[in-house]
Amino acid sequence: MSDFAIDADGVELVYDDGTRAVDGIDLRVPTGEFFGFLGPNGAGKTTTIKTLVTLLHPTGGTITVNGYDVVDEPRAVRETIGYMAQETSIDPELTARENVSFACQAYGVPRSERRDRIDELLDLVDLAEVADKRAEEFSGGMRKRLDAATALVHRPPLVFLDEPTTGLDPSARNRLWEYFRRINDQGTTIFLTTQYLEEADQLCDRIGVIDDGRIVASDSPAELKREVGGEILDVELADGEAATERAATIARESDIFADASVSLTADGIAVTSPEARSRGTDLLVALRDEGLTVTGFNVRAPTLDDVFLAITGHAADENADGSLPGEASTEMPDDVAATGGGAER
Amino acid sequence: MSRDDATPRRERTGGNTFVGDVLVNARRWGLKATRNRFFLVGTLVQPIVFFVLFTQVFGRVATGAIDSGSGALNYETFLLPAIAMQVSLASAGGSGIGLVNDVENGMFEKVLVSPMSRAAVFVGKSAAEVVLIVVQILLILGLGVLLGATIQTGIAGALGVALVGILFSVWFTAYSNVLAVITRDQESTILGANLLQFPLLFVSSAFLPLDAMPGWIQTIAAFNPVTYGADAARALVLGQDVMQVIEVTAFGGIWNTVVPAVAVLLVVDVVLGALAVTMLHRASRAAV
Repeated sequence: MSDFAIDADGVELVYDDGTRAVDGIDLRVPTGEFFGFLGPNGAGKTTTIKTLVTLLHPTGGTITVNGYDVVDEPRAVRETIGYMAQETSIDPELTARENVSFACQAYGVPRSERRDRIDELLDLVDLAEVADKRAEEFSGGMRKRLDAATALVHRPPLVFLDEPTTGLDPSARNRLWEYFRRINDQGTTIFLTTQYLEEADQLCDRIGVIDDGRIVASDSPAELKREVGGEILDVELADGEAATERAATIARESDIFADASVSLTADGIAVTSPEARSRGTDLLVALRDEGLTVTGFNVRAPTLDDVFLAITGHAADENADGSLPGEASTEMPDDVAATGGGAER
Repeated sequence: MSRDDATPRRERTGGNTFVGDVLVNARRWGLKATRNRFFLVGTLVQPIVFFVLFTQVFGRVATGAIDSGSGALNYETFLLPAIAMQVSLASAGGSGIGLVNDVENGMFEKVLVSPMSRAAVFVGKSAAEVVLIVVQILLILGLGVLLGATIQTGIAGALGVALVGILFSVWFTAYSNVLAVITRDQESTILGANLLQFPLLFVSSAFLPLDAMPGWIQTIAAFNPVTYGADAARALVLGQDVMQVIEVTAFGGIWNTVVPAVAVLLVVDVVLGALAVTMLHRASRAAV
């Protein structure tokens, strides 16, 4: 017996210009789950979420959201979901209260319940004190929180959050996280996209990793990190390439780590191992004994880059064609291609 | 699909009726209009300036050109209905700006992902704009009377002018929204509307009778919607047939002007309105 808030099967989305932004995604999100959709810019996250919330029509596959088909019953889907777009979506000319009130009216919240609902939501996102100020006076974090409140006016059982904390400072981000946890604890299913492993790690029960329009891994955060093979010891070395090569050989051939993978970085080596933290010092000593000069070292948790490297075999900030972010092609699936009708945000 | 058996359908909120959706959106745009005092005043200032300057600068000369130079009709009275149409044009030209703003601040998409009827969303916005235009036209008519114009037909005539003003605003509202969808840019939308607004006003029957103008202007004026808006409004203010571009005698009195003018405006409204609806529909499907 299963109960899926999202049940997507073989979803494809090909834009008019031929870009395959979503290339055969299967996705089941059980009711109540906090699901994270993790991937670099341009991987197809936003296109997928826009397809799930009925803003884009899938060119292949089937999707049911809350039991309704997104193509045949879009209105039923819209009534039962909340959606927070990547770019903050509020009317700056209206006050916080008016923004939430408009959302209440748009979703048909009965007049008798509206006032209480508005107060409750503004309270939840800590905007009660500025309820009657115009949103144009708000900081980025306040706008985001207001946007989040407007997405919840109809108490949707499923909420979509598209990179909700991108561009926020850490304290604003933490407040939003707390807020998302709270509504998830109350039983709301959450589908969140993010570029940050840390965010997915903090919030999500399960993470789907998307790369180039496909889901390449789907597991709990702990399991995904385990796939990376432990923590990472970065070692910086003086004396250039020859020293780096020697250090890599030492790290590979010594018996300090039972299980480690060693790669070369710009100015040293990176050792990935479950024992990176406990045995790291031994490696540093070994390197010194061999006459190498260590200029810096650091043990860190795996990042999205490491998860990506481990799962896909290429870095997260590269496209399949090797181009780097900032180059036009990286933005293609999410942004440029979404301009099918000359649209931009 | 078999999976549906396993996935219980979530309870729907039900949303609103179509009329409910229209009202929700009209209220938001009405509220925004009251926040935009600059736009409200700005769209009135230019027509007022035109009215005052034209009557002062050209008044004496123009009086000779109207009503066969009999002097029975002052220029204030001749000009006022055209100024009312200018108000309608200026206000309608700003419609696309609201759309551009909505796209820019994400409200466009927010509304698309809500259960509201997409048609009702645009009808609601237009309804708010229509109310605004009526208020502005009645204000300018009142001011015109204070400055020396006479509305021969009284309150009924003034309300008739407001109705013509609504009809006259639709095609330009549509044009402004088409500009907005194409350019997605505030400045371009404003520029595009202003660029057209003044040539259209001058090459029409708005400021002087057509028989006082050169032949080429008379020819273009016959294809200019402003001519029909100005003629219909003028017929309603003066209580007489004033149309010169088409000679109609079938309806009698002012209706010889009002009926054909309204018919022409309806056609222009439907054509440009359909274009705007098509483009908005496409923009909605592209989902920004």
